[in-house]
Amino acid sequence: MAAADSPSAALRRRDLCSRGIRLAGKMRSDVIDLLDTYVEQQGLDASASVAAVEGVPAAAAERWDEQTGTQRLLDNLAAYRAFRALLAQMLEEQREQLGEADAALGRALAAVLLQVSAFAYHLEELLRLESRGPPSEEGAGPPPPPHLSLFERKLRGLGVLRELAQWAVRSARDLRQLAKPGPGSSSAPSPAESP
Amino acid sequence: MFSAWNWVACGLYLLLNICFLEVSGGLVQSCGHIIPESPVLALGSNFTALCILNESCLDFGNIYANQIIWKIKNRVVPKEQYREINRTVSSVTFNDTSSLATPLTCNILADGQIEQNIYGITVTIGLPPEKPKDLSCIVHQLSKLTYPMTCTWNPGRHTFLDTHFRLKYRWPQENFPDCIPKDVNNSCTITDVQFFVNLEVWVEAANALGKAESDPLVLDPIEIVKPLSPHNLSVNSGILPTVLKLSWENRISAAVMKLKFNIRYRIIGDTNWMQVPPEDTASPRTSFSVQGLRPYTEYVFSIRCMKEDGVGYWSDWSEEKTGVTTEDKPSKGPPIWRIIDASRSPASWTVHLMWKALEPFEANGVILQYEVTVRAKSSLSSPPEKYSVNTTNLTLKLPNGTYEVTVIARNRVGASPPSVLLIPASNLKAPVKNVRTLPKDGKLWVGWTAPNSYVLKYVIEWCLVSNSSDCITEWQNEPGNVQGTYLKGDIKPFKCYLITVYPLYADGQGSGQSVKAYLQQDRPSKGPTVQTKKVGKAEAVLTWNHLTVDEQNGFIRSYTIFYKTIDGNETAVTVDPSKTEYTLSSLTSDTLYTVRMMAYTDEGGRSGPDFTFTTQKFGKGEIEAIVVPVCLAFLLIVLLGVLFCFNKRDLIKKHIWPIVPDPSKSNIAQWSPQVPAKHNFSSKDQMYPEGSFTDVSVVEIEADDKKSFSEQDLKPFDLLKKEKSTSEGHSSGIGGSSCMSSPRQSVSDSDEGEATQNTSSTVQYSTVVLNGYRDQTPVQVFSRSESTQPLLDSEERSEDHAGGGDSATQRQQYFKRNGGQDETNTDRPCFERTKQITPANEGDLVGFAQMQISGQSSQLLGTELEKNTQEAALSDVLQASTEGQTVRPETVEGSPLSVDEMPKSYLPQTVRQGGYMPQ
Repeated sequence: MAAADSPSAALRRRDLCSRGIRLAGKMRSDVIDLLDTYVEQQGLDASASVAAVEGVPAAAAERWDEQTGTQRLLDNLAAYRAFRALLAQMLEEQREQLGEADAALGRALAAVLLQVSAFAYHLEELLRLESRGPPSEEGAGPPPPPHLSLFERKLRGLGVLRELAQWAVRSARDLRQLAKPGPGSSSAPSPAESP
Repeated sequence: MFSAWNWVACGLYLLLNICFLEVSGGLVQSCGHIIPESPVLALGSNFTALCILNESCLDFGNIYANQIIWKIKNRVVPKEQYREINRTVSSVTFNDTSSLATPLTCNILADGQIEQNIYGITVTIGLPPEKPKDLSCIVHQLSKLTYPMTCTWNPGRHTFLDTHFRLKYRWPQENFPDCIPKDVNNSCTITDVQFFVNLEVWVEAANALGKAESDPLVLDPIEIVKPLSPHNLSVNSGILPTVLKLSWENRISAAVMKLKFNIRYRIIGDTNWMQVPPEDTASPRTSFSVQGLRPYTEYVFSIRCMKEDGVGYWSDWSEEKTGVTTEDKPSKGPPIWRIIDASRSPASWTVHLMWKALEPFEANGVILQYEVTVRAKSSLSSPPEKYSVNTTNLTLKLPNGTYEVTVIARNRVGASPPSVLLIPASNLKAPVKNVRTLPKDGKLWVGWTAPNSYVLKYVIEWCLVSNSSDCITEWQNEPGNVQGTYLKGDIKPFKCYLITVYPLYADGQGSGQSVKAYLQQDRPSKGPTVQTKKVGKAEAVLTWNHLTVDEQNGFIRSYTIFYKTIDGNETAVTVDPSKTEYTLSSLTSDTLYTVRMMAYTDEGGRSGPDFTFTTQKFGKGEIEAIVVPVCLAFLLIVLLGVLFCFNKRDLIKKHIWPIVPDPSKSNIAQWSPQVPAKHNFSSKDQMYPEGSFTDVSVVEIEADDKKSFSEQDLKPFDLLKKEKSTSEGHSSGIGGSSCMSSPRQSVSDSDEGEATQNTSSTVQYSTVVLNGYRDQTPVQVFSRSESTQPLLDSEERSEDHAGGGDSATQRQQYFKRNGGQDETNTDRPCFERTKQITPANEGDLVGFAQMQISGQSSQLLGTELEKNTQEAALSDVLQASTEGQTVRPETVEGSPLSVDEMPKSYLPQTVRQGGYMPQ
């Protein structure tokens, strides 16, 4: 906590929040672009509704306003760690499926994956500034992918991207909330605090 | 012994050859090797190599380490650098590897003669890499989603080795593959970077001698982006004539970066850009309205962008797009001026109205026409006259008076405010004062002092003054509150401009004040041609013409006259530029001078052609001063001479113009009795002391006898004849001469006539006197008698015998004047003429008959010589006798002949000279 109070820490926190917000914005923009490419590339209908995918964290949260900052960071970190694994899995599947035929989709997926990874790093740094430290990744990853058909994998990928876009919006809002000067944000225990 | 060693050496050589053949054949049987094998060495370090001989070779070839020779290329390494470690190992040490070269070989000198290579290594010398410096990165946006990052660095010194550079970068939690430069060693491009995460970037350089890393650069790539410039720029006219609206598209997502913009614009054709204030475009946008533009003007626009917070790089300027603002009413009326020509008619003016076309920023559109209104101020009742013209001038013929002229320019939108010009009947208002000019910044500035009255505006007229072209008036308006302006026109240097400033008042105009000016002066293009107007002894009046305006190139400030003699120093005289004549004084007389003249402007002078003149030898009046006195003196001398002559005229006359006594007026009775008493006839010897004198009554001489006279003897006679020629007609001739010259003829004619009358009873006779002059043959002298009495032999004889004075006296009495002594050369014609007149006078006939005997006048020459020489004396005698019958024997003095020998009185015998003697 003492670290959080120091001016440099506050500056660092503000900087991380600021750049996290913009990274979330760019991530969302890129994911939206990627979604169009993905839907077109995978032959899906953009309006197709995708049920909740197992292992994909949902951006919607109840009583979002009541969450503490740490809770928000932990939720975000858990989600992006999950997205990182899912996207890496999608990228692998993409390469297996299309090979190098569609390098653009692969590069876009890789770029989004990097951004997700970078955002997760931002969250970890913010958590360190909260004197909390990021939770261990062990056991935090998604469950091993079930054997799914190709179409189900495509739909799952669509669901991952859509949910990532949602999370990008939420993350920006969470970071804005964190950036606001105010009472200690980690007073309330976060449900994600325990693995 | 020697042969044994030779055999050993040959054997060794063969052995070594075999060994190397085996090696080259792949048998790998070397006699030694070098450690280290092909080392890479740092430049400047020390290095030690070992050559290790194989034991087998030792035994076989009797080779030891002390026989090893090290070589660099083909150069033997000095022995001081060797060290024999043992009998099979030799080392060589180099303190500085810069002296090394490839290959380094180990050689054996067998028996001190034969050198064989054992082994060789390649030595590579270089430098370890330096730490790369000055690492910097930039992210170039190539498309909406492509952001490659290019990093550059300074690789440091050349290492002479194969050095590899790697650009390494990583996130704190993630490493990325290295970026390896292609073909270069100082830059590398990472194809895609992610923003908003700090990236650690550094460069690693490595070669065989080591590795070095640059300082890491930690940055968020978003902070070093150079975005693509906005595109699809469009320019649209707004509602207002001063506004244009720009629209564009940004090519970077707002999610990536928010942008700010720069907008620049310029009037087409202009090179200077104007810029929209940056604070007006410091926020993200895709359109902007540029205000404050000129109506009806074409503008060029361009735009660029960068990250809103100013971190990063500006994009390039976008492509340029043009747009035109809409028209507006002309903002002002055209400047107007007039030229009044009053010379054609005394009662009316020809007024040339002229106005300037509005500048584009004033016209605000296309001027369709000008509306001119002329209103006479004197007669307000008369309606104004209106003219619509498309040109910028109008010529009107107006009665003398005051007029108000207004001009309006009209375009599609509307009309300009009117320009008003008052044309007064006369310019009697106060003029400006102190008009002056000043060249400044390549333009000509005109200043003046305003009059005391309020001035609406000023009109500045100017024209180029030239000999070759007319003065074409240009003009411009200036507001009434200024007192100076630059001339707006093509003002040329070295040209003279006549500038006139008119003040315009509300109720009239002032008279113009003029000044001449140059934008820039130069030396005159030529110098004055000087010549003399008048040249005197010590002064010369020089004259020249002023240079023409075109030749002056500036204001002529002065003239300088340079003059010098051929070998003298040049003298300079400065002359006022208004002069065209100058008098050089204190010149040397009769001297050639060279004179030239320079005309000076402020920038220098130029010399005219040389002119030479020579001063006069005499000054004015000097010649008169000399000539007049000389003439006067001459006249005086002449006058004195004349007076002297006049006073001494008698004497002169006596000498030059003797009076010949007229025998006809003589009276024998008066003088004959006295003569014998006075004369001494005692001896002819006294007269002719040499005894060469013979009196002959009749002498017959052959004509050829004349040849007895040499011509030399004759010449003096000729000269004497000439001297006497002027007076021959008056001088007494030789009476006895038979040469009948005309004077003599005339005398004889007339005198003879008288003589005939007066002495009709006398007997003519002649006496020929043969006179030998000195040793010469005596000259015959004729004494002619004019007696008409017949000659008696007795008388002749008695006379001859007596030789006395009586006969001589008688003879002399009958002598007549004979002035024809000069005619002695005309022998025969004289005789012929004489013959012709013979019938008229018998006496003459007789006389001539006697003379005819001689027939040779040449013989008379001698006689005449004497006659001549004594002629004066004779004449004196005659004169004396004529005047007063006074014998003046002294007058014969000075005769060429011996005066002492001459008789002192009248002697009839002395007719040898041909003189006549009274009887």
